[in-house]
Amino acid sequence: METKEVLVVGGGPEGVRAALEKAQAGVRVTLVERFPALGAARIPRDRIVAPDACFVNPELEEARVHPNIRILAYSEIQKVRRENGKIQTRILKRSLRVDNDKCTDCKACIQVCPVNMLDDFDEGLGFRTAVDYFNPQTAEFNIFKEDMPVCQQACPVHLDIRGYVGRIADGRHLESLALIRERLPIPGSIGRICPHPCESACNRQYLDAPISICFLKRFVADVEIAREITPAYKTASQKFPEKIAIIGAGPAGLTCAHDLARLGYENITIYESLPVPGGYLWVGIPEYRLPKKLLQREVDLICEMGIEIRYNTRIGEDISFEELQKSNDAVFIGAGCHRGLKLRIPGEDDFEGVVDCVTFLREQALGTRKSGTGKLIVIGGGNAAIDSARVGWRMGFDEVYLVYRRTRREMPANSWEVDAAEHEGVVLQYLAAPVEILGKNGAVSGVKCIQMKLGKPDASGRRRPIPVKGSEYVIDAQTVVPAISQTANLEFLGKSTEFRLTRWNTFEVDPDTGATNIEGVFAGGDVVSGPDIAIRAVAGGKRGAAGIHTYLRSR
Amino acid sequence: MCTGRLDPAIVAKAFKKGLDGLLVVGCYFGDCHYISGNYQAQAKIEMTRRLFEHIGVNPQRLAFKQCSSGEAAVFVEIVNTFDATIRELGPLGGDGDAVRNPALSEKLATAEAVLAGEKMRWVIGKKTPFTTSGNMYGEIFTEHEFNRAIDMIIVEETEVQEILGQLRQKALSVAELAGSLAIPPARIFRYVTALKRKGFVALEGISGRSPKYKLISQEVS
Amino acid sequence: MVYEKQGRYIIPFDDVPADRAPMPEISVDERRNNFVEIETGFPEETAIREAKRCLSCRRCLGCALCWAECKPEAIDFSLPDETLELAFDEVVLTCGQDNAFCDPDPELGFGRYADVLTDLQFERMLSPTGPTDGLALSPLDGRIPAHVAIVQDGRSAEDPGLPASLILGVNMAQLCSAQTRDVKVTLISPLSDEFKARYESQIRQITGLTLIEGTPLSVGRENDSDPLNVAYTSRSDEKVTIAADLVVILTRPDTAAYLRDLARQLDTAPPAF
Repeated sequence: METKEVLVVGGGPEGVRAALEKAQAGVRVTLVERFPALGAARIPRDRIVAPDACFVNPELEEARVHPNIRILAYSEIQKVRRENGKIQTRILKRSLRVDNDKCTDCKACIQVCPVNMLDDFDEGLGFRTAVDYFNPQTAEFNIFKEDMPVCQQACPVHLDIRGYVGRIADGRHLESLALIRERLPIPGSIGRICPHPCESACNRQYLDAPISICFLKRFVADVEIAREITPAYKTASQKFPEKIAIIGAGPAGLTCAHDLARLGYENITIYESLPVPGGYLWVGIPEYRLPKKLLQREVDLICEMGIEIRYNTRIGEDISFEELQKSNDAVFIGAGCHRGLKLRIPGEDDFEGVVDCVTFLREQALGTRKSGTGKLIVIGGGNAAIDSARVGWRMGFDEVYLVYRRTRREMPANSWEVDAAEHEGVVLQYLAAPVEILGKNGAVSGVKCIQMKLGKPDASGRRRPIPVKGSEYVIDAQTVVPAISQTANLEFLGKSTEFRLTRWNTFEVDPDTGATNIEGVFAGGDVVSGPDIAIRAVAGGKRGAAGIHTYLRSR
Repeated sequence: MCTGRLDPAIVAKAFKKGLDGLLVVGCYFGDCHYISGNYQAQAKIEMTRRLFEHIGVNPQRLAFKQCSSGEAAVFVEIVNTFDATIRELGPLGGDGDAVRNPALSEKLATAEAVLAGEKMRWVIGKKTPFTTSGNMYGEIFTEHEFNRAIDMIIVEETEVQEILGQLRQKALSVAELAGSLAIPPARIFRYVTALKRKGFVALEGISGRSPKYKLISQEVS
Repeated sequence: MVYEKQGRYIIPFDDVPADRAPMPEISVDERRNNFVEIETGFPEETAIREAKRCLSCRRCLGCALCWAECKPEAIDFSLPDETLELAFDEVVLTCGQDNAFCDPDPELGFGRYADVLTDLQFERMLSPTGPTDGLALSPLDGRIPAHVAIVQDGRSAEDPGLPASLILGVNMAQLCSAQTRDVKVTLISPLSDEFKARYESQIRQITGLTLIEGTPLSVGRENDSDPLNVAYTSRSDEKVTIAADLVVILTRPDTAAYLRDLARQLDTAPPAF
C-alpha cells in the first residue's frame, strides 16, 4: 500500500504539532508556510505556566529534522482542487535567495543593506532589512523582494504604475503611455472612468493622500492627442491563421481582440449588436465622463491592427451561436450585462414612463432619447443610478430625485460621483424604498415610497434596511428609472444550453484561462463577473486572449 | 583628475571646514575619456545636493556644470555666475541656509559619515546600471524611482549616523538621544532596536527606568 | 503574492505632506443641458508635481551590496523559485503565522498611540529572541513602564474565546514581572463564573498582577507627555479611570483571507485559532 500523503497548511505552533503527530504515525507530511521560516515558540494559551516555561517549543526543531516531514517555507498554494479522492495542488516555493547552508550568520549583509522595513515576525515592532533572518530561532536568511508594488497588485491588469508614474515625473510622457499600453489598450478611457482600486491601496495614503494614479494615466493619453500623434499598435511578425470570433465590442472584447492581434492572429472579427463600439463604455458611461470621440479614437487604433467589427449584428438573430462556433477556431464571449433588473413592485409594467437605467442611458447615448420634462425619479444607489440622475439633469428634467433605501454611507456608488450629483442639484433621498408605481391614463404619475431604518448587518456587511410601518408617502413623477442592478442577457446562446452557468446567470470559467466548459469557447468581463468595473473586464479580456492563444497553439 | 572620481565624503568634509561653495566643472556627456565619468560626477553631485538640502545646507552651494577645455568664455561665465550665487548666499551657516552654525557643522559631520558609508557609495555607483540595464532583478529605474531610493537612504542614514555619532561619545537612553537630536523618541526606539539587531549597539545597563545603549566597536576587516 | 503583514512605508520623506492635485472641472452652470466633459485634465506642471509624489515603493533594491559583502558567498540572486505539482490524501489547515486579528475597538487607541500594543506584539516583546530581548519597553519613549494595563477587547464573559485570551494575559503578566524590574500589571476583562471558580485564587497569588473584573471602555491621553488613561466599567457598573504607561490589547483572532479562500475551495471549515 502507498504511504499516505498529508498536506499541513501553516507553519505556526499548531501546524508544527499537526505535522509531527501525522509524521509520527508514519504518514508523509508536507508542511507549507507562506513566511520564509517556521514559527516561533509561543506563550501557552491553554494553561497558566511559570515564566521560564513560556517560549519553550522543542517541537519546532523536531519537525525540522523529522524524516517524514518536508518543509516548504516561503511557499504559496496557488491552485487546489479535489479530484478522484485526491487533493491536487500547485505550490510555488519561493527562492530565499540565500543559501543557508553556506551562511555563517555573520550579519555582514544586514549591516550594509540600505532598506529598512517593518519586521513581520516581530509584528512590526522593529525593523528588519531587505536581506535578513525571519525567525531568529531558525536564523535562516532570506531576501525580501515583493512581486510588485501594492498599487500594481491591486490593479486587475497589474499595470506597472510605479514605472509609468515615474516616467511622468521624469517628463517622459509618451514613454509612460507606451508602458501603459503594454497591458491596457484603452488608457484614455480607463484614465477617465476607473474607480482606481490602485489608489485605495497606495502607501502614500498613510502619510497624506494617495497618488492621483488614474488621472495621471489620462494625462499621458491626452498628451498624445494634444501633440497630434497617431501611434501604431504593433503586431507580432509571426502570424497565425486561425479564425477567432469575439462577441461584444466592450472593454473585454476589445482587449481580447487587441491582445490576440498583437500575438499575431490575423482573422479576428468582433460581433457587436449595437451600431457603436465600446459596449457599456459607449452606451452606459455618459458623455460628460467619457467623450465618445475619444473612445472612438481608441477603438480605431485597435481596429487598425487588422480587426473587423461587425456592427448591428446580434448573435442568435443575425447569426446563430452554433454557426459562429462552427465557422471559427475559437470564440470569446464578452457580451456584458445589459439588462436592467426590475423592481418587482406593482404598477411597474402598467404605465408609460418607467424605463430601466440601462435602456435609459443607452437611448440617450444613441440619440433616440434627447430630452425630458417634468420630474425624474431614479431608484438605486450604484454608479448607474448616479449616472442616470446626472444624465437626466442634463436632458432638461425639471427636477431629479434619487431614492435609495440605505444611507449615504452604504451607497455603492463612488463617493465623488455622489458629491458631483448633489452639487449639480440632484435631490438625494435616503432611507426610502419604492413600494408601488402610480399612474394616470396609462402614464406614470408618481412613486409610492416607504421610509426605512437600518437594522443589523446582512451577508454583505451592510446594515439591512427595514421598512417603517405606516410611513408611506408619494413623490410625483413623470419618469421613473429603476437602477438597482444589471444582469447578463444570454438569449443569444439559443439552443446551446450546455454551458455551465452560475446561479447569477453568468458563465463559469477556468480561473486561469477564461475557458468555459465548452471546448474552444472562452468568456470574460461582466458576463463572467456580473456587473463590475471596466478595468476588471479588461483583465477578463486579457485572460481570455492568453487562454485562447494557449488553446490554439496546443491543438 | 576625472570629476567622476570626486568623493562626496570629501565634499562634505570641505564644507565642514568652512567652504562656502563648490563648483565642479566637467566635460560634456559623450566627451568623457573614461566613457561615463561625467555621468558619475553628475550623479554624485546631485545626490550630495539632495543630502545637503535634507540637512539644511542650501543646495545652491554645490553645482555641477559642463564645458570643454576650449571654451574659455563659457568657463568664465559659469564661474562668474556661481561666484555671484555664493556671494548672494553669504557665508555657510548664515542667512542663506536653513540651519545655522554651529548646528550646521554637526550636521555636516553627519553628512560626511553618511557619504563615507558603504550604502551611499555603492548605491550611487549603481545609478547608471539601474537606469539603463536594470538591477539584480532586471528592473529598470526611472530617474524619479532612483531619486526616491537615494532619498530613502539619505533620510534613514542621516538619522542613524546622528544616533551613532551621539553614542560614540557615551552610552545614552532613547529619551536622551531624542532630546539632543530632535527626532521623535518612538522613531529613535525603532532605530535603536534595529541597530541592536544588526550588532552595532548593545544594552549597557538600566538607569532608573531607562535602558542605556552603547556602541559596539566594529572589527575592521 | 509575497505576503507582508506590515506592508507600509514609514519613511518621513522631506516632501511629506504634500497636497494631492485636484482635477480641474468646468462649473455647474456650464454643465446644464449639455454633455460636455466635466473634467478638463491636469496641466503638465500639475501632472509632473503629482507624479513626483509617488514613493516608488520597493523593498529589496536589487543593489547586491549584501552579495558583495557576503564572504561565504551564500547570497545568490539566481536561486530559482520552484513550482511543485503535488497530490495529497488529506489536508490540515492551521492558522500559520499570519496572526490575523479583528480590528480592535477604535476607542482603545491601537494605531493612534505608539504605546498601545496588541497581545501579539507584546508576546514578541517578551520573547528572549524578540526586538527588546524580553524587556518590556514602551515603544513611545523606550522606557520601562511602571504600570502595564492589559485590556480585553470586545468580548463578553460568555465568549468562548475568553479563557484562552485571559490565560495568555496572565502568562504575559507573569513573564513581564519576571523579566522587567518594578512593573505592576493590571488585567482588565469581563470574567465568567466558570473562569473565576477555576483560576481566580491561583491568579490572585501572582505578585505584581492585579485582576480587575470589568469592561474596558477607552484608552487615551490628554497631553503628549502624560501617561495613558484607561477607562473601564467596573463590576458595580461604575466608570473607573486608571493611568498606565503601556497598554496591551487582548485581541480577537481572525482567519486570514487566504485561508478562508483555501477552505472554500476545499469545501471544509476554515481554521480557527
